[in-house]
Parts: sequence; structure tokens; C-alpha cells
Amino acid sequence: MFAMNLILAAEDTAGHAAGAEVMDLYNWVPGVTSLIVFGIAFVVLYLKVWPKITQGLDDRQNKIREEIAAAERAREKANLALVEYEQNVAKAREQADEMIATARADAKVVAEELRTKNAADLATMKSRATADIAAAKRAAIVELHAEAATLATSVASKILRREISVEDQQQLVQESLAELAAQQTAETEHGMAGAPS
Amino acid sequence: MELLLQFAATEPTDHVTDKYVLGGFVTMHTITVVVIGALFVWAMFAAAKAIATGPESQGNDRYTTKGRWAQFVEVVVTYLHDEMLIPVLGEKHTKRFLPYLMTVFFFVLFINVFGLIPLLDVQHLIGDLTGKHFKTYIGGTATASITVTGALALVSFVVIQIHGFRELGIKGYLQHLCGGLIPGPIYLLPVVAIVFVVEVAGQFIKPAALAIRLFANMVAGHTLMAVLLGFGKVALDGAGGSLTLGVGGITLISALGALAISFLELFVAFLQAFIFMFLTAVFISLMSHHEEEHDTHDHEHESTLAAVIEPTAP
Repeated sequence: MFAMNLILAAEDTAGHAAGAEVMDLYNWVPGVTSLIVFGIAFVVLYLKVWPKITQGLDDRQNKIREEIAAAERAREKANLALVEYEQNVAKAREQADEMIATARADAKVVAEELRTKNAADLATMKSRATADIAAAKRAAIVELHAEAATLATSVASKILRREISVEDQQQLVQESLAELAAQQTAETEHGMAGAPS
Repeated sequence: MELLLQFAATEPTDHVTDKYVLGGFVTMHTITVVVIGALFVWAMFAAAKAIATGPESQGNDRYTTKGRWAQFVEVVVTYLHDEMLIPVLGEKHTKRFLPYLMTVFFFVLFINVFGLIPLLDVQHLIGDLTGKHFKTYIGGTATASITVTGALALVSFVVIQIHGFRELGIKGYLQHLCGGLIPGPIYLLPVVAIVFVVEVAGQFIKPAALAIRLFANMVAGHTLMAVLLGFGKVALDGAGGSLTLGVGGITLISALGALAISFLELFVAFLQAFIFMFLTAVFISLMSHHEEEHDTHDHEHESTLAAVIEPTAP
């Protein structure tokens, strides 16, 4: 195999030697071909390819620029909205604080008024009750004194009108007591009749 | 093993030299360039279709580029446009020359990268396997041919010169060739003559350097790979055709070296395409910004010449 290769290589070299002269005659051919191929390629690409590529790249660049500009505008808008929102929130918080403070102050005033009023009412009621009690007490004492005096006067008048025996005395006492009871009963009935239904 | 070593071919330069196909008129590089040209145009059409803005019905999705190849083209074009060409040429001239410069870049890139596909070696291998020695019709690196790189450099030369005349006018162009020393003092005429010759030569040397640089880099890289692979074959021949441990070791090391160089070659393929395009842009810019630079150069020239003619005491 190797020997065959060597033979082929030798033939190849011989072929080269024979073709070398021909090659020297036409060694400009690849150059001219390159010139023609490059020229055709350039014209075709210049008309059909590079405009598309440069236009595509320009479109993309413009799109990116527009997107960046739009994003910046949106960011500025968002920043403004955020500032406005924060201002509104601060304002609302301020208003809420003011309202709470006002409500507390109002509540305090109302509570103070209620407390004062209650205290005053209580004091009035207490003094009125004390006065009522004192009046009732005085009335009761006066009434008791009157009753006692009446009874004593009645007993004394009866004693003075006649000499009384033990039986009379007892009878007089009994009568006086009965009169007293009757008088009390009549007063009670009178009181009940006069009471509102 | 022997077959694999055939990748090295009998001569390292076999990988970079052109092969005659049809009586010499049509060569392997000729066919390769035509095929690559067709592939190149097709691939760029596909990329353009994917990069172009889609219909509105697609929504925001119409702005996205679909497909790896189109994304690669987009990234490369965007990077070269924004980072390389705008700083050198400015907005106006970048817009004007972008189609030409990008076509040059991708065309050279296609040829360079195509050269890394071992079509030539595969054809050799098939020939060895079948026992028939057949001609190689396609393959190799077309930019390893000085006529191909020369043709591309010629296009750049024409573009640069047309732009120079258009931008500067006849008078400005001639002033540029005189290094900005005219109008100037009469005693500077000998210097102007020298500068004129150098500048005129420079107009041809610059594109020639473009052609030679690309050609030399492509030839050197592929030759180096072939040489490295050839070490194994040389070792095998030296051992009388018997496969010994030493032969295996040498072959392995040389193959690994060739593999490493092939990665370097991939980088060089991109780099040289970029350099060709970028230097063309730089040469265009030298003709574009001449007036601005001219003033600066004038001052520099004047101050330098003044210092030479009338040296001031320290």
C-alpha cells in the first residue's frame, strides 16, 4: 500500500511538473475568477442583502431607543404618581390625626361636662333628699307633739269635768284610746282617699 | 496509519498550491472560489432574511434574529460597525462603505474557513483507498493564492483611489501625494519630490501589502500543519516502513501539534479577514480625513522641518 502511495505520489509530482508550465500560463485565472465572483457577490449583496441587514439593525436600534425612552417616561410618570400618592397619604394621615385629636378633645369636653353635670345633679338630689328627710322628720315630730298634746288635753279635760273612779279612769283611757284610734283611722282613710290612684 | 499520514502529502506545499483541472485554464482554486462565492451569497441571503424586521403581526418578536448563523452575522456586523468602523471612518463614510467592507470581510472569511475543511485530504484519502489517482477538483485555501488575494486587494485599491479623488478632488489628491507640503517654501521642493515618490509608491504598496499579508498567512499556516503531520511520515520512512514505538510517538506528537495549529489557523482565518477589511477602512479614512489630518501634519512637518533648518539653541 505504502509503495503504491509512493508511486502515486511520484506520478502526481510528474503530473505537477508537466502541468506547472500550463499553470504558469493560466495562474491569473483564479485571480480573475475571484474578481468576477467577488464583483457579482458584492453587487447582489449590495442590492439585496446589506440594505435588509442594515435596515433590520437600524429598526432594532430605533425600537430599543424608543423602548428605553418610553420606559424612562413611564418611570418618571410612576415617580410623579408615587410622590403624589405619598403626599396624599401624608395629607390623609394628617387629617386623620387632626380628626382623632378633635374627637378626643370633644370626648374629653363632653365627659367633663357629663361629670360636672352628674356631680351637680347628685349634689342637688342629695341636698333635696336631706331636706325632705329633715322636713318629714320635723313634720313627724310636730305631729307627734300635737297628738300628744291633744291626748293630754283630752285626758285632762275629762279629769277636770268629774271625779273619776278607777273604773272611770279606765273607761276614760279606753275612750281616749278609742278616739285616738278612730282619729288615726279616719286620717288614714282620708290619706288613702286623697292619694292618687 | 499510512493512509492517515497521506494527509501530509508528499510535499507540505501541496496543501496550498493550486491544481490544474481542465488543461490548466480551470484550476482547483477557480472552482473553489466559484463554489464559495455561491455559498457565500446564499448564506448572506439567509442571514439577511433572518435579521430583517418581520411583519407587524409578529409583534415584538419581529425584531429578534432567529438562527445561529444570522445571529453570528448580526453580532459581527454590529461589532465591526460600532467599535471598528465608526471610530475610523465616522458615521457618513461607514454608512457608505459598510456594504463593501462587510462583503470583503465575509468573503475572505468564507474562503479562509473553507480552507480549513480538509476536502483536499479527503480526496487524497479516497484516491488511496480506491487505488485510483484522481484529480482534486475542489478544496484548499483559495486565499493561499497570490492572484486571489491580489484581485481582492486590487478592488480595495480601486475603491480607495476613487474615494480619494471623490473626497479630495484632483488638487487635494495631489496635495495629499505631496505630503501637504505644497503650497510651501520653495526650498522644500526636493523634499516634496521625495515625499511624492514615497506617497505614490505607498498607494500601491498598501494594497500590495494587503494581498501579500493574507496570502503569506494562509500559506504559512497550512504549510506548518502539513510539515507537522509530515514528521510522522518521515519517521515511518526512516524506520523502513515498520511501525515502531518511536514512530508512533513522533506521529502522535506531530499530530497533536498539527491539531493545535489548526485551532490557531481558525483564529488566523478570522483575524486575517478582519485585518484585510480593517486596513482597507483605514486606507479609506486616510483619504477621507486628509484635510483635518493635513493641518496636523502640516504643523508637525513645519515644526520638524523648522527644527531641522533652524535649530534653536537649548
